[in-house]
Amino acid sequence: MLALLFALQPLAARAEGMHIKSAELIASETGYSLEANYEISLSHTLEEALLRGLALPFVIDFELTYPRWWTLSLWNRTVAELHQQHRLSYNALTRQYRVSFGSLNQNFDTLEEALGVIARVRQRVVFTRDEVDADSIYIAALRLRLDTSQLPKPLQINALGSRDWNLSSDWYRWTFRP
Amino acid sequence: MKPSIHRVRKSQLSRGMKYLVALILMLGAIMLYLLSSASSNTPMFARDLPLLLFFGVTVVLGLMVLVGYQLLALRRRLVAGLFGSKLTLRLVLLFSLVSVFPGVLVYAVSVQFLNKSIESWFDVRVDKALEGGLSLGRTILDNMLKDLTSKAGGMTQALADAAPSQQIAVLNNLREQMSVQEATLFHPDGTIIAFSISEGAGLMPRMISPTVARKVVLQQPYRAVESEVGHGLRLRVVVPVNKLSGETGLLQLVQSVPPQLARDAETVQSMYQDYQELSLSRQGLKRLYGLSLTLGLLLALLSALSLAIVFSERLSAPLSVLAAGTRAVAQGDFSQRHPVRSHDELGILTESFNTMTTQLAEARALLLRNHDQLEAAKAYLESILAKLSAGVLSFDSERRLRSANPSAEHILGVELGPFIGISPDQWGARDGRLVEVGSAILDAIDRGGNEAWEEQLELGSQSAGKKVLLLRGSTLQVGSESGFVLVFDDVTRLLQAQRYAAWGEVARRLAHEIKNPLTPIQLSAERLTHRLADKLGAQDAEMLTRATQTIVAQVAQLKGMVDAFSQYARIPELNLEPLDLNELVREVLVLYEAHGRGIVLELDESLPRVEGDRARLRQVIHNLLQNAEQAVAELSRPRILVRTQRETAGARLAVYDNGTGFPPDILARAFEPYVTTKARGTGLGLAIVKKIVEEHSGTIEIRNLQPAGAEIAILLPALREQRAAQLADANVNAG
Repeated sequence: MLALLFALQPLAARAEGMHIKSAELIASETGYSLEANYEISLSHTLEEALLRGLALPFVIDFELTYPRWWTLSLWNRTVAELHQQHRLSYNALTRQYRVSFGSLNQNFDTLEEALGVIARVRQRVVFTRDEVDADSIYIAALRLRLDTSQLPKPLQINALGSRDWNLSSDWYRWTFRP
Repeated sequence: MKPSIHRVRKSQLSRGMKYLVALILMLGAIMLYLLSSASSNTPMFARDLPLLLFFGVTVVLGLMVLVGYQLLALRRRLVAGLFGSKLTLRLVLLFSLVSVFPGVLVYAVSVQFLNKSIESWFDVRVDKALEGGLSLGRTILDNMLKDLTSKAGGMTQALADAAPSQQIAVLNNLREQMSVQEATLFHPDGTIIAFSISEGAGLMPRMISPTVARKVVLQQPYRAVESEVGHGLRLRVVVPVNKLSGETGLLQLVQSVPPQLARDAETVQSMYQDYQELSLSRQGLKRLYGLSLTLGLLLALLSALSLAIVFSERLSAPLSVLAAGTRAVAQGDFSQRHPVRSHDELGILTESFNTMTTQLAEARALLLRNHDQLEAAKAYLESILAKLSAGVLSFDSERRLRSANPSAEHILGVELGPFIGISPDQWGARDGRLVEVGSAILDAIDRGGNEAWEEQLELGSQSAGKKVLLLRGSTLQVGSESGFVLVFDDVTRLLQAQRYAAWGEVARRLAHEIKNPLTPIQLSAERLTHRLADKLGAQDAEMLTRATQTIVAQVAQLKGMVDAFSQYARIPELNLEPLDLNELVREVLVLYEAHGRGIVLELDESLPRVEGDRARLRQVIHNLLQNAEQAVAELSRPRILVRTQRETAGARLAVYDNGTGFPPDILARAFEPYVTTKARGTGLGLAIVKKIVEEHSGTIEIRNLQPAGAEIAILLPALREQRAAQLADANVNAG
C-alpha cells in the first residue's frame, strides 16, 4: 500500500489563471484517489460575466496513460480517464455564489470560498487496482480548465482568441508507479 | 501544329478549372450551411465553431487564389493579344458588376440591419427596469430578513432567561408568537437543544454548518436568503443566545419566502441574468453574424467572379476558335472544322464556317485536279512536240512568235527562246542567221492567208551549205485567240537522196541500153578489118585499120564508161571485214609506182582498223588517187600526198594535191554525178567515192588549199572494240 508522492516544485503565483499547487494519487483499499490543489483567480472580464449571471463551467481532465515508446507517445494506451465538471454561478437575488456538481449545490457568500471548492480536487476512486500493472510505469496528467464550448455561442466568439476568456491550466504530468 | 496542342492543353486546363470552381463552391455552400446552423443553438457545431470559421476562411482564401490565378491567366492572354480575350475581359467586368453591386448592397443593408436589430434588443429602460425589479426583490428579501432578525433578537432574551427544561416550550411559544416557521436552538458545537416547527413546514430542523456556528458563537449573527432548487427561497437567521450561565446557544430561525414572491423574484432574476448574458454576448453576436455575412458575401462574390471568368471564357472560346480557323483559311488551310457545341447563334456561325471551309476545300481540290489534268495534257503535248523531228512554231494574231519546239531550234540552228514575242521580221535584227528565214516565214504566212498552205523554202547559197525547208502553215483558232502555226522539215537530204536515186536509175538503164549494141559494133568493126584488109590496097587497108582501131578503142572507152555508170548505179552489197587502211593504201599505190610521179605517203602506224569492203575501199583510194593525178597532170612539178591519221572518231585518209583546185561552183556539188572539170571525165569518180564512204557510215569533205591545190578527206569509223580501246587510251593520256 504504497503510493508514490511527487513533491511539486513551487510555482510562481500569478495574478490570473489557474495554477497547480499539488497533485497526487493516493492508494486506498479499492483503488487510487486523486488529490490536487489549484490556485484559481478569475480575470476581471470573467468575474464581471459571473456577476452578470453567467455560469462558468470548470472541467477537470485526468488521464492515466501507459506510454508506448515506439509510437512516440502519440497513441499511448489510455488506462483511465476522468472528466469532471463544476459549475460556478452567482445568484444576483441572494447575492450568493453557487458551485454545482452534478445535482449537488453549494452556496457561498464569497467568490473565494466558491473558487476554493473548485480548486480543491478530491476524487474518490479514479481507477481500481486491477486496472494498473504493478510493474509498469504510467504517466498521469491533470488539467483544470474553463470549458468555453459550453458557453453560449456568441460568447464563444468573444472567447475566440481572447486571453481573458481562455482560462486553463497547463497539463501537469507526472510518472506514476503503482 | 503547335497551336492545336496548346489549345488542347488549355481546354484541359479550363476543364480542370471548372471542376476546381465547382469543388470550392460546394465547400463554400457546406461551410455557409454549417455556419448558419452554428448561429442557431445546435450543440453539435458549438464545439467546432473555431474549426468551422477556420474552414470558411480557408475556402475564401482558396477562392481568392483561384480568382487571382484566373485573372492572371486572363491578363497573360490579353498581353499576348489572343483573339477573344478582350471580349472575355468585358464579359468578366460585366458579370462582376452585375454580381458585385447587388451583393455589396445586400451585404451593407444586412450588416446595418443586423447591428440595428441587435442594438434594438438592448434598451436602457429595460435595463433599468430589470435592475429595479431585481433590487426590489432584494429589498423585500432584505426587509423580510431584517424582520426575521429582529424577531430572533426578541426571542433571544426570552430564551436566555428560560431554564433548560423549559426551553422547548419557550421556543415553541416564541415561534408561535413571532409566527416563524422554524426555530431551532443549537449548542455551539451544532447539536440541537430544542426545536419547533410549524405545521406543514417539515419534520426535521435544518442543520447548521460548523463555519456558521463558529461565526455566530463569536457574536456574529448569520443571516442569509437561501435558494434551493425546487424549494423556492428561504430566509435563515442564526443569532447567539447568551445565557446568564455564560453558555452561548445558537438560535436559528428559518422562514420560507411566500411562493408567489419567490417565483416573481426568481423570474426577475432569471430575466436579469438572460438579459445580462445577452448584453455580454452582444459583441460576440455581432461578430458572429458579421463574420458569417462577410464570409458568405466573399464566398458569393468570389465564386461569382470565378464563374464569370469561366463562363466568359466559354462564351468567347468559340470566337477565338473561329478566329483561328479564319486565319488558317486565309493562309490556305481549308481543313479547319470545328465541332458545333451550341444551338445558338455561335453554333450557327460555326456551322456556316464549317460549310464555307468545306466548299472552299472542294473548290480548290477541283481546281487543283483540273490544273493537274491540264498540266499533264500540256506536258504530253510538249513531249510529243519535243520528240517531233519537224520544227513547230506558233505565232499569235500579231505574228509574234509564241512558242517553238526543240526541233525548230535544231533545224534553224538558233536558240529561239529570246525570240518569243517578237515578230519574224524583227528576227534578222537580233540574229543575222535568221534574216532570210524571218522574212520568208512572214511572206509565207501573208501569202497563205486563212487557208492551210505548203511551201518549199530554199535557204543559203550554194557555197554555204544550202538548206531546203518544207513549210506547212495554217491559222490557229483557240477560243477567241487566233494565230498561226508553222510546221517545217529540213528536206535537204531527202531531196538529195531523191536526186541520187534518180541518177542511179538513169545510169543503170543507160548503161544497159548502151552496153548492148557495143559488142556487135566492136565485133563488126573487127570483122570488117579481118575481111577487107587483104582485099584493099595498102593505103585503103591502112585507113580501114585505123578506122576500125578507132572504133574499137572508142567502144572500149564507151564500155568503160558504161561500167562506171553501172558501178555507180549498182545496189550495194557490202562484204564487211576488218581492214587496215594503211595496207590498203600501199596495195593500191603499187599500181601507181610505174608512172614515176612522186606520190608521198605519210601513214600513221597507230591508225585504227576499220570495218569495210576491201574491194570497194580500194576503189575509193584508186578514185581519189586518179582524181589527184589528173589534177596534177599538166604541172611541171606535181605533188601528191596521201596521209592517214588517227582521229577520235576513227581513221582519216586524206589525199592532197597541188593542182588547180576546184572552182567554187563545182566545190558545192563536187560529189554529184556528172559534175566534172575534166574534159574526158565521166563525173562519176567522186560521186562513187562518196557513195561508198557513206555506205561505210563515213564522211567525206573537200576543200581547196592555198595557194593552190585541193584536199579530199574521208573519215571512216573505227572498229567498235578498237574505238573503245582508243577511248581508253585517250583517257589514260589525258589523265
